[in-house]
Amino acid sequence: MDFLAEGFRRALALLVSADAEVYGIALLTLKIGLFATFLACGLGIPAGFVLATRAFWGRRAALTVVNTALAFPTVVVGLLLYGLLSRRGPLGGMEWLYTWQAIVVGDVVLAFPIAAALAAAAVQGVDPRIRRTAQTLGAGRWRTAWTVAREARFALAAVITTAFGHVVAEIGSAMTVGGNIRGQTRTLTTAVALYTSQGDFGLALALGLILLLLALLVNVALQMLQGRGHA
Amino acid sequence: MLELVGVRHRYDGRLVLDIERFAVPPGAGLAIVGPNGSGKSTLLRLLALLEQPTEGEVRLDGVVVAGGQAARPGSGLRRRVTLVEQRPVLLRGTVLENLAFGLQVRGIGRTEVNRKVDGVAARLGITPLLHRRRHELSDGEVQRVAVARALAVEPDVLLLDEPVSSADRAAAQTLYRVLAEERARRPLAICLASHQLEDAYRWADDVRALAEGKLAPVTPENLFRVELPSAERGGDLKHVCVGTIEIAATTDKTGPAILAVPPTDIFVSREPLASSARNVFSGRVTRLAHQRPGVVHITADVGVELVAVVTEEAARDLGLMPGGPVVFSFKASAVRVF
Repeated sequence: MDFLAEGFRRALALLVSADAEVYGIALLTLKIGLFATFLACGLGIPAGFVLATRAFWGRRAALTVVNTALAFPTVVVGLLLYGLLSRRGPLGGMEWLYTWQAIVVGDVVLAFPIAAALAAAAVQGVDPRIRRTAQTLGAGRWRTAWTVAREARFALAAVITTAFGHVVAEIGSAMTVGGNIRGQTRTLTTAVALYTSQGDFGLALALGLILLLLALLVNVALQMLQGRGHA
Repeated sequence: MLELVGVRHRYDGRLVLDIERFAVPPGAGLAIVGPNGSGKSTLLRLLALLEQPTEGEVRLDGVVVAGGQAARPGSGLRRRVTLVEQRPVLLRGTVLENLAFGLQVRGIGRTEVNRKVDGVAARLGITPLLHRRRHELSDGEVQRVAVARALAVEPDVLLLDEPVSSADRAAAQTLYRVLAEERARRPLAICLASHQLEDAYRWADDVRALAEGKLAPVTPENLFRVELPSAERGGDLKHVCVGTIEIAATTDKTGPAILAVPPTDIFVSREPLASSARNVFSGRVTRLAHQRPGVVHITADVGVELVAVVTEEAARDLGLMPGGPVVFSFKASAVRVF
């Protein structure tokens, strides 16, 4: 128990003293998380809309692929991405391996199916009369989609939160394509894994607490957003 | 002119609509009457270009706009036809925002939007509701707002699915008055689906019956879904159970069918008549309706509710009144089976 208590004490001291390394890692994680969430949701939510509302050949297969991709092992995604981004890989010329951009790409690959599948479910959950009403009143495709999105706003906000939570908590891909380089690609999760293995439990715990705090802040923000919503 | 031509529409392989031709001419006041599940709502959704027919075409002014080789109809075509669903929903926002929605998507300026919204709200008596949201409205109020929202965009064809199902008598009368005024004000065709014959006759120029997804070749009164027995001794004369009575009909069909008794083929009397009619039923008058000049619709409970049509003079001579005795007689050969 002393060991745990000591860990917590060290963690609090690092947080209160605004330790540069701790906050540097946290800020990098936030940057990667925001970029990846923006891209994954920017692509995944429209894809979810299409899957939920358009009848096209292969739609059922596409839904199955997206739902299967939800369970992609993150290390495998990292491995595939490593193959693509390594010097001998087809995207090696970009020289993104072991950069924060590579972590973003891995996170987007992992979060895209989450955004698409949950957005499709959110849109399918909207009363179909809403879509028909917008259409019969003369709304075009985009205005109809916007009208439906307004009805599904809470569920779509949850999609963004879930994607962000997944991205900041992901470790397998970040470790493989990021390399956990200090000051460059060390994120909260890879750092927690490293410092725990090195026996620096206090530092690992401090970073873990920040990770929890990030998740908490995102959820509080979502709840505040929901609280302001009107029918 | 909005038309369905050769339409066969299926849900999960089940045929729900089978219509050779159905047209809503410009400026028409058309009512479609039929029981629940007869296909009225599907018909209206196809006319509103919200669904593609599985087979057949939807034509607008002679041009195929849905089905066949036509591309999926865009918002430009849909803007000419507006549907108010049986249980309409309001979009997120206030009533005012709902009324403005269709005008805004047409790119109409704010001043004009406000003018049109105020006008239609006043005509339908919903001005006090303008700043309310959907959860603050009753079902009847939602229905009125939905009709106002559809009228605001001034479509060429307005489709209404049971528009007074949640309305009280006064609200229903207001709605029918507004619809009549709207048709007088500008060229507007209205196609209304209802299960209330009385309203349909009072309001529409033409009433069409829909049963089991097909347009019935008879007037919409006295339609019954029945199970025809197999052939009886003595030829095609069959006795078919309808409610608590048995109706004699001549048909060679068996199994599920629609049975129709044309109201004009029913003889009305105070006492049973000695005649060749195989169907003679005594009962009580439940309603007398003067739906058209010179004609009286007599509704009587004879074990089931039947409607007969007689002249005003005949009704007067018979001294018919609600609650009074009446006898309905009709021949087995007058009964239509399809």
